Amino acid sequence: MNFWEYLRSREELLTFETWQHASMVFQCVVAALVIGVAIGLLVYRSPRLSAVATGAAGAAFTIPSLALLGLLITPLGLGVAPSVVALTLYSLLPIVRNTVVGLTGVDRTLVDAARGIGMGRARILLRVELPLAWPVILTGVRVATQLAMGIGAIAAYVSGPGLGEQIFSGLGRLGGANSVNMTLAGTLGVIVLALLFDACFVLIGRLTTPRGIRA
Amino acid sequence: MTGPPAEDTAREPGVATGRSRESLHTPTGRSWRALIQPAVIVAAGAAWLAYVENSGLDSIARRSLALDYVARKTWQHVELTLVSTLVVLAVALPLGVLLSRRRFRRATPLVLAVANIGQSAPAIGVVVLLAVLWGIGFWTAIVALVAYGILPALRNTMVGLQQVDPSLTDAARGIGMSAPAVLRRVELPLAAPVILAGIRTTLVLMVGTASIASFISGGGLGDLVTTGVATQRTPVLLTGCVLIALLALLIDWIGGVASRVLGPKGL
Amino acid sequence: MPDAPDAPDAPDPRAGIELTDVTKRYPGQRTAAVDRVTLHIPAGEIVVLLGPSGSGKTTLMRLVNRLIEPTSGTITVAGRDALSLNPTELRRHIGYVIQDAGLFPHMTVATNVGLVPQMLKWDRKRIAARVDELLELVDLPPDRYRARYPRELSGGQQQRVGVARALAADPPVMLMDEPFGALDPITREHLQDSLLGLQDELGKTIVFVTHDIDEALKLGDRIAILDKGSRVAQYGTPQEILLSPADEYVEQFVGGAQSMRLLRFSRVADVPLGETPTARPGDDAAAVRDRIGDADDAFAVVLDDAGRPVRAVTRDDLRDAAGPLGERGAPVPEPLHARDTLQRALEALIQTDHDRVPVVGRGGAFTGTVSLATVQDAVRDMRRAAERRTAGTA
Repeated sequence: MNFWEYLRSREELLTFETWQHASMVFQCVVAALVIGVAIGLLVYRSPRLSAVATGAAGAAFTIPSLALLGLLITPLGLGVAPSVVALTLYSLLPIVRNTVVGLTGVDRTLVDAARGIGMGRARILLRVELPLAWPVILTGVRVATQLAMGIGAIAAYVSGPGLGEQIFSGLGRLGGANSVNMTLAGTLGVIVLALLFDACFVLIGRLTTPRGIRA
Repeated sequence: MTGPPAEDTAREPGVATGRSRESLHTPTGRSWRALIQPAVIVAAGAAWLAYVENSGLDSIARRSLALDYVARKTWQHVELTLVSTLVVLAVALPLGVLLSRRRFRRATPLVLAVANIGQSAPAIGVVVLLAVLWGIGFWTAIVALVAYGILPALRNTMVGLQQVDPSLTDAARGIGMSAPAVLRRVELPLAAPVILAGIRTTLVLMVGTASIASFISGGGLGDLVTTGVATQRTPVLLTGCVLIALLALLIDWIGGVASRVLGPKGL
Repeated sequence: MPDAPDAPDAPDPRAGIELTDVTKRYPGQRTAAVDRVTLHIPAGEIVVLLGPSGSGKTTLMRLVNRLIEPTSGTITVAGRDALSLNPTELRRHIGYVIQDAGLFPHMTVATNVGLVPQMLKWDRKRIAARVDELLELVDLPPDRYRARYPRELSGGQQQRVGVARALAADPPVMLMDEPFGALDPITREHLQDSLLGLQDELGKTIVFVTHDIDEALKLGDRIAILDKGSRVAQYGTPQEILLSPADEYVEQFVGGAQSMRLLRFSRVADVPLGETPTARPGDDAAAVRDRIGDADDAFAVVLDDAGRPVRAVTRDDLRDAAGPLGERGAPVPEPLHARDTLQRALEALIQTDHDRVPVVGRGGAFTGTVSLATVQDAVRDMRRAAERRTAGTA
């Protein structure tokens, strides 16, 4: 069976797994965006806390995903739970870091100007700081999504949902019929999804970044 | 620790780390503080092993956690990491330099676009695909790691050279330096911080990906994880995870020190 | 303007600023940044806070809109106790201009200018109209500039928008913190002139911080020269400061009263103006003739409804005239402004064919006449005074 025939014969399963993969990544990144921006908002005013947050995120970044997934099996068992937690945790790291970097990177004279013309704290945050930090935060979300796509594939090892199942099935049938097709389908599926998501981010970036601060 | 500038992440999406040189507590000089971090990492590893070896393991777990076995797996992991990193650098650095020469400059966006697409490939997919095509084992694992790591490293080299202020290379040419001299004495030293950061990134990326090598019998600490899951021995699984994480932190620290020591002064 | 509270030539006297015994002490610092400063900033004047860096001039200014909270003392802005107001609310009624303009790069020019009115919950139409009016006022045609983003403007244009933003809700008081400090000399000069033009029209109470003595002399109705701890070393008009520096510190700071400076920074208003009879077109010609008197070169200045000089009529013009004055007489020469420097006045008087030139004040209203001789006399007196002082101190 060649690759195309394989794709056609498993169309339903592949569509389902692709959808699962996309939906898992999307939900985890959205959760990470909410939590990550919240953390960023809590710490960005204090240089100490900011340093701790970005430092911890950086250190956690170096921990390989397999190690984290394995560690999560003990408390959470196999399946969706450890996958979702791991994906959300990894997605958090670039989002927290970029939120802090973005917010602390806002020109202080602009905040001073905002105060000077009579904006209150909340208004400065909503109208000046967050919009100016937004491109940087969005970049963090983009990185988080790419990361989550790849780790989502490994999540199949702990019986997580998504396209990783194809890859591990291929591995399990090493040398057997369709093992190449399965692995290829899983890998290409993730690549295509990642590129699609990335294209969406480019679009979102263009739509949500005012012309005045577009690169 | 201060975070790296956000542009770092913008330039290298999907790369497993984007930490800049300042992000480590690794002051240069003879300060004993520089050694706190690795000492803590090694001590944590030793403490974990001491704890787990004395926690009443059954025979299966004890076999997988025998100290010489763990040491061998750790060494395999280091081997996988170092060999693949060296191969990646041996290919990516010269290629990156070549592709950023004037003659190939026009191809740069294309190469970077391909690198971007390559980066969205999942590590596990690349590793398994090569095993399916080539058979399993250490060297397949190396090839897979190299295949996975080469694009980010290439990209870093090119970006590093690209961001060298053109007026400086112009000035170098203007005082009569030959093209190779400009490269050696101006471009490479100025691009060194970015290139070195890329090397560190590659190292960390390889440590992480090397743990996947165990799926294709490449050896390494991933074996403890897979054994732990397969035999349902949590202490084995946890030991694998803890040691991988500590090794990653240690190698990242070494990468940080290396880029400080090797980096040109005065930048 | 939609809600201009004060007519241009009669600024509300309560719109001034009073600082009484104001002190700002930062925790952990031995000396106070601002040490018991008392300063009265009269309504409708530009008061320049001038001093070297570290003199606390910016701190002093920022106390007014409570970007910095004073440790003790009282501050009254436009008749209200600033310290009892909500600081955010207070700032919306005080214009604020900073170096580099501080425009929000992610908002268009129109949004930037309309921010304060928007916060004050004006309706959208009124904001749009106000924005256009303000852009017009700062010489940026609204159709061209409204939708632009700050980075699409030059530094000078950005600062014009900054001034427009500060003026948006028509605050009686404006604070300007080295607004032209980062601009090239030509643009700076140009914007200074524009500011004087605007001020002529609007009559705001302006606190202007700078370290540039020439800028201070040019713009200030009064100058407060500050020393460490915001000690007010001298507070007076540019001429007072040039001619009689209060102490060595001030003298060093202004660098002595060279004649060039005297000419460049003394104003027509500093010269005793000649009193000339005025008339309205409706006045009876014969009565006006009597008012002019017998002298050969005597004349009367005919004013329009706004009090601006339009024509000059001499005795000869009215010789057999009867009935209302009407259109008699010749157009007046280009008037000098009370704000013009003596240098400019001398140039104008040397070139003109007329002996006496009308002088106008705020809103172009006639205030008197001046002749070449009076200006030359005044300059000579000033030089003498300056020389006497230098000789005395040497």
